[in-house]
Amino acid sequence: MSQVERRFDLLALPVVGQFLAWRHARTAMQLPLLLLAGLVVFDGLFGPQLAPKNLATVLVWVHYRGLVVLALLLAGNLFCMACPFMLVRNLLRRFVHPVRIWPRLLRNKWPAIGLFGLLLFLYELLDLWASPLWTAWLVLGYFGAALLVDGLFRGAPFCKHLCPLGQFNFVSSTLSPLEVQVRDSATCAECTTKDCIRGRPEEAGPGGRLRGCELWLYQPRKSGNMDCTFCLDCAHACPYDNVGLSTRLSGSELWSDPWRSGIGRFSARPDLAALVAVFSFGALLNAFAMVSPVYALEDWLAAALGTSSELPVLAIIFALGLVVAPALLLGGTGWVSRQWAMAAASGDERSSTVPPLWAWVTRHAYALVPMGFGVWLAHYSFHFLTGFWTFVPVAQSFVSDIFGLQLLGAPRWDLAALVPPAWLNPLEWGFLGLGWLGSLLVAYRLADDDDERSPWPVFVPWAVLLSLLFTTGIWLMGQPMEMRGTFLAG
Amino acid sequence: MKRNVQHRVYLVGLVLLLTLLGCARGMQDLPDVGVDLSIEPDPPQMGPATVTVILTDAEGQPLEGAQMEIEGNMSHAGMVPVLAVARETSPGRYQAELEFTMVGDWFMLVRADLADGRSMERKIDLPAVNEICGDTPEP
Repeated sequence: MSQVERRFDLLALPVVGQFLAWRHARTAMQLPLLLLAGLVVFDGLFGPQLAPKNLATVLVWVHYRGLVVLALLLAGNLFCMACPFMLVRNLLRRFVHPVRIWPRLLRNKWPAIGLFGLLLFLYELLDLWASPLWTAWLVLGYFGAALLVDGLFRGAPFCKHLCPLGQFNFVSSTLSPLEVQVRDSATCAECTTKDCIRGRPEEAGPGGRLRGCELWLYQPRKSGNMDCTFCLDCAHACPYDNVGLSTRLSGSELWSDPWRSGIGRFSARPDLAALVAVFSFGALLNAFAMVSPVYALEDWLAAALGTSSELPVLAIIFALGLVVAPALLLGGTGWVSRQWAMAAASGDERSSTVPPLWAWVTRHAYALVPMGFGVWLAHYSFHFLTGFWTFVPVAQSFVSDIFGLQLLGAPRWDLAALVPPAWLNPLEWGFLGLGWLGSLLVAYRLADDDDERSPWPVFVPWAVLLSLLFTTGIWLMGQPMEMRGTFLAG
Repeated sequence: MKRNVQHRVYLVGLVLLLTLLGCARGMQDLPDVGVDLSIEPDPPQMGPATVTVILTDAEGQPLEGAQMEIEGNMSHAGMVPVLAVARETSPGRYQAELEFTMVGDWFMLVRADLADGRSMERKIDLPAVNEICGDTPEP
């Protein structure tokens, strides 16, 4: 029997839907971002090495970060959809046809977790936010890595297993309101060609081929946005026009645990749970590194270690923030929650069905996502909203220096904020609050799934942890910002 | 999009990039000009400050008659700079009042049109502008 749910489908809209359904829509979106990436690299390498006056640092650390979190909140994984790295990679694949398959041992998120943590670490160590040169090299490195990996291996292993930005987008998009999903499951049940994942030859044209999903997400068994780049290859390949970009309940995929094509079950993926933990604790750590108390901590650590080098000090802070603290807090919360769950179920057949601790923590860790995203959103939106207009004078300066033209007069260095300063704190608190409430909801739904007769013993410890993280986020956002690129006093 | 059109797009992009590579942009400095910058209060702190710049030539003689602007900016993108026009208080000595709006690392840009017609811009790092420090008066 057909199961056609009434959902708002972006691909069914006039104009927007027609554009997205066009097989070159992604290329059309990638081209402007490729141009911007080129400008970032050029100005980062050859422009003034002053962060406020260089397109590299302004566009990447102010605008890209702000726009990506807002797009994820309001729509979906639009930046992976328009990824310029994949445009260049696709050009390479006109000449290079990889045959290797990504190694089985690496078909998980552990490499990506390492790279994500490394990126956050290098951001602080190299003061990327203050360095146009390093920002440009980061972008170039990204292009190089994407070309190397996807030039050697089939599919999209760079996206699925390595790209730190992609992992950030995948986790965040579990909260997005849009999802690439099947329109009518009955149509898929009758399909024998599975073009959405295998691809198919073009019906017209010079004999090209329409790709199937390169991240191995088979549409009828796909559930949620994890690992989906919104590339719409599946939609273009489907001969029945049975794939849409439609609305869903944001965050609902975090408490459901079906077997997902290309992923498996969330509860059986400790690497995914670890990614969520690094994502969430990384949000707090990244914000912490911009406020005054971190410099006191760094000075104290440096004195204790007898060093003036930033590397060991930052390494300790990151080890504590991204490994020790998550392990202790998640492990401890999970242990208490599990003990209470078993106590509530003692003498009952349910007590024998309580999973082992590692599986318990894995299952419940996904409740962190809304809280973590709330912190990223509060942080990145702050810089975006306070520095939104700064691209104008930098662009004016760029045009004047390169072409000798006055673009809208002399550079307007007085332009910066998009909103009044009084709006910032309420917005930050609002984003944190939404994240906290979202996490509480997910944690409760997970607890209810574990034991609908008595979810509270399972839920309360996680609620305490989430409230602790929320309080930490509020405290962080209330600290005076102190952006330093130089370092240890002694 | 046909393949030959795509190739033309890539070729145009490459030509544009190569053209831009010939156009670097940056500050114009004059190595023979000495710039000595000091700030009161010292160490610098958030809030109003007096910036004093002494310009000297290669022989150490004061450079009079320059038109000078001082810009203070932070090391992070997205912040509004603070700008002030400096006045010459004595031969080769220029002063401006501005306000540090945030704690953290700043840099100062000294831009001057010299009396000999040359222009310069020099960057001076100003790390660790601190919070307002309330000194305890000496007894």
